[in-house]
Formats: sequence, structure tokens, C-alpha cells
Amino acid sequence: MTGSAPFVPRRHDANRLTLLALVAILPPVSVALAERGAAALGVLGVAVILAVIWAAVFARVRGRPFGWDSLVTALVFAALVPDAVPLWQVAIGFSFGLVMGDLIFGGRGRGFLSPAAVGLAFLLFSFPVPDMAMSGMAARVAALGAAAILLVSGLLSWRVVAGFAAGVIGLSFSAIIADVGAFVPSATLLLGLVFLVGDPVAGASTNVGRWAYGLLAGALFVLLRLAGGIDLPAIVFAALLASIFAPLIDQAVIWANVRRRARRQRDV
Amino acid sequence: MNRSSLRHLTAPLIDNNPITLQMLGICSALAVTTSMSTALTMSLALTAVLTAGSASISLIRRHLPQSIRLVVQITIIASFVIVADQILRAFAFEMSQRLSVFVGLIVTNCIVLGRAEAFAMRNPVWPSVLDGIGNGLGYSLILMIVAAFREGLGTGTLFGVTVLPLASDGGWFQPLGVMLLAPSAFFIIAMLIWVIRTMRPSQVEADDFPIHDPTASNLP
Repeated sequence: MTGSAPFVPRRHDANRLTLLALVAILPPVSVALAERGAAALGVLGVAVILAVIWAAVFARVRGRPFGWDSLVTALVFAALVPDAVPLWQVAIGFSFGLVMGDLIFGGRGRGFLSPAAVGLAFLLFSFPVPDMAMSGMAARVAALGAAAILLVSGLLSWRVVAGFAAGVIGLSFSAIIADVGAFVPSATLLLGLVFLVGDPVAGASTNVGRWAYGLLAGALFVLLRLAGGIDLPAIVFAALLASIFAPLIDQAVIWANVRRRARRQRDV
Repeated sequence: MNRSSLRHLTAPLIDNNPITLQMLGICSALAVTTSMSTALTMSLALTAVLTAGSASISLIRRHLPQSIRLVVQITIIASFVIVADQILRAFAFEMSQRLSVFVGLIVTNCIVLGRAEAFAMRNPVWPSVLDGIGNGLGYSLILMIVAAFREGLGTGTLFGVTVLPLASDGGWFQPLGVMLLAPSAFFIIAMLIWVIRTMRPSQVEADDFPIHDPTASNLP
């Protein structure tokens, strides 16, 4: 039995998961580098260096083997941070997200939030972050490519994605909201959906729960997007809030299942 | 003062701190720590109420019927809280406005009733007074540390005096807005607990879910 990541099929061990996620996040990061040049390179450099340093520090302090999974967090974070953010703010936000959202719980797979979302939320709360959503076609295609890789490998649950889409569409077309056309998905939204909402650590882990979790995240995204008008905070806080509810959703699904089976036993 | 009674005073500072070990009084620690002056006022008010309350309850502990002891304890504590609140309103009206309901809510602060029930009901007056002062100081210590981080990093000031000149006023410091929001107090208290338990491993509780060692378990 493998030691970690209890919610994915047995054939994946932790290193393969890390490698797969790295492969998936590479196209969006490459597009960001190509579109934004040196600024994105600086953000990426800071995040990667800090990821390695923090992972090494915690591996040493806890006496545990060094894991590369903080690199995935670094790349996701770098792909989503607007490049006008000063590097020292990137450093503080990323360190906070990685340490408080992930390493402090014992590393990847043991926390309950997406560390990249925690870091981004810290940045958004603390500093005036400029609205620079990635909107180019190349970035969208890259995000879709990442989604495809993760969906095929089973790291991203299609139920979460479908639930999210249903939540967004359902709420957008309902009577309260007039402006339906406002939700042409930006690359920021797609990346956030794939890597923040879709993070298997943060999401629900029962099949019904995944639908509910996706729906909740989608509905929250629409509400926050309408209130704020900017994609990045909306998707980050929708992901955070939904993942806080994910364990409760799972518990409810399990309770319902237990009750259903108990009733079936009684009726026979 | 002999060694054991001194212990009542010093133990609650770190070893048996009401916030970081007993986990009491967290709500006011979140609410009043956005600036050091409100935190200091709150600390003084709580220490005064706690000491006076513990002393009075200890004084009548042999005459309190078991069945109504909580009612009597709360009545005594509430009376002291009203006195503290009125004194603040009379002599520091602005501060009392800034603290709003939180001085009044000392009644419901778990530290006060907790110490009355756990200590003052079973100990003579003098140790109860020391215990009250000690727990008040332990609470104050944590509050002041949290407030120093929150006010310092959130607005660049300490007690309203600028220590980190803000970028918006021509300085260099970009304040961390998150420090002015309640969650930051949770993070700071959590990190304080982390630091204290690293220094005092005896405070560490057993893990609910121990971290699995992959090097040991990958064997078939």
C-alpha cells in the first residue's frame, strides 16, 4: 500500500502524480512566459526557488524525504499571479500559501486547501492586485490542454468540472442575472477551475460530492464575479470557500449512503 | 512570597497560558487586536475583572451551594464587568467606543468563569488572586504580541506611532491588508502556539491522525 494520496487509483504513486501535474501545468506556464516575458520569468523564478527551499526546510525539520510536489504549487501560482505584482509580494504570498496551506499539515495530500489558492487569497487580501486576467487565445488553449491531460489521467474529476459548468450556466441563465454574455471563460477562469477548484486535495472525494462541490464552486464564482467584476479574486475565493465545504459535503454523502443501505437492510 | 505561590503567578504566562494552551478567550483575542491600544485596554480590563472575581469567589467558596454556584459566579463576574465598563466610559470614552461590546463581553469570556470554577472555588484567597493576575497577564501577553504583529504589519504603526512609514504617505512600507482582518489573528495565534510547543514539547498533544511514514510502508 502506498503511503500517501489515498483518493486516487493505486497505480499512481506520489512521484507520478507530481510529474503528471507538472506536465499539465507546463503549457500554461510556457504561454505566460511567451506572452509576458521577463516579468513572468521573475515571478516563476521566485516561486520555484522558494518552493524548493521550503520543501527542503520542512523535509529536514520533520525528518521526512524531500518531495517535489511544491514545484506544482509554484508553477500554478506563477501562472495565475498578475505580473505587475512586485516580487517581494509574490514571495510573501507564495510562502504563506505553501507553508500555511500545505507543508504545515504534513505536505501535499494532507491539507484540505489548495496551497496556490491560499497564497493567492493572501495576496488579494493584502495588496492592491492589478486586474490583469490572461485573456489571449493561446492561454485558453494551453489551459484546455492542461485540463485534457489531467482529465485523462484521472487527476481532475470530470464531475467537478461538469458541476462547475452547470453551476455557472444555471446561475447565469436564471432570472436574477440579466447579463448572460459576461461569462466567456477567460484563461484565468479556466486555469483556476483546473488547478484550484479541481485540485484533488481540496475537492470532495465522493462522486455525488464532486458534483455538489463543483456546483457550489460554480455558483460562488458567478456571485463573486458579479459582485467584483474581476476573474482572479472570484475564482480564488470560490475555490477556497468551496474546498472548506468539501469535507462536509463528503460527510453528508456518506451519511446519506449509510442511511440508504440501512433502510435497504431493514426492508428486506 | 514563597516559590509555590509565585508559581500561580508565572505558570499561566507560558506553561499554562489561557489562550495558547487552555484555548480560552480566543474570540476577544480576534476582535480587539487590530491596534495595540485597544488590546492593552482590553487586557487591563480583563485582568482587573479576573483578579477581583477570583478573589471574591474564593472568599465565599465555602458558603456557595453547589447547585447555584455558576449563577452566583456569573453574577459576581458580571458586576465587576459593569464596573470596569462604567469606569472606561467615564474616563476613556473614546476607547470604550472603540472596544464597543467587547468589554461587556468579558462576562462571557471563558477565561474568567474557567478560572473561577477551576481554581478559585478550590483555593484560598491569596493563591486565587495570584492565579487571576497570572492568567490575566498570560492573556495580555498573547494579546499584545498578536496586536503588535497586526497593527505593525497592517498599518505600520505601534500604539498609533508610525514605525514603518507607509508607501501611501511617501515612505516605503506596503501594509499587509490581511492583518486587519480577523483570520490573521487566527494565523498569528496558531504560529505562536507552534513556536511555544516547539520550545516546550511537553505541551504537544498526541496526533489524531499521525503522519504515515512512506519509507516504512512502501514494503509489500
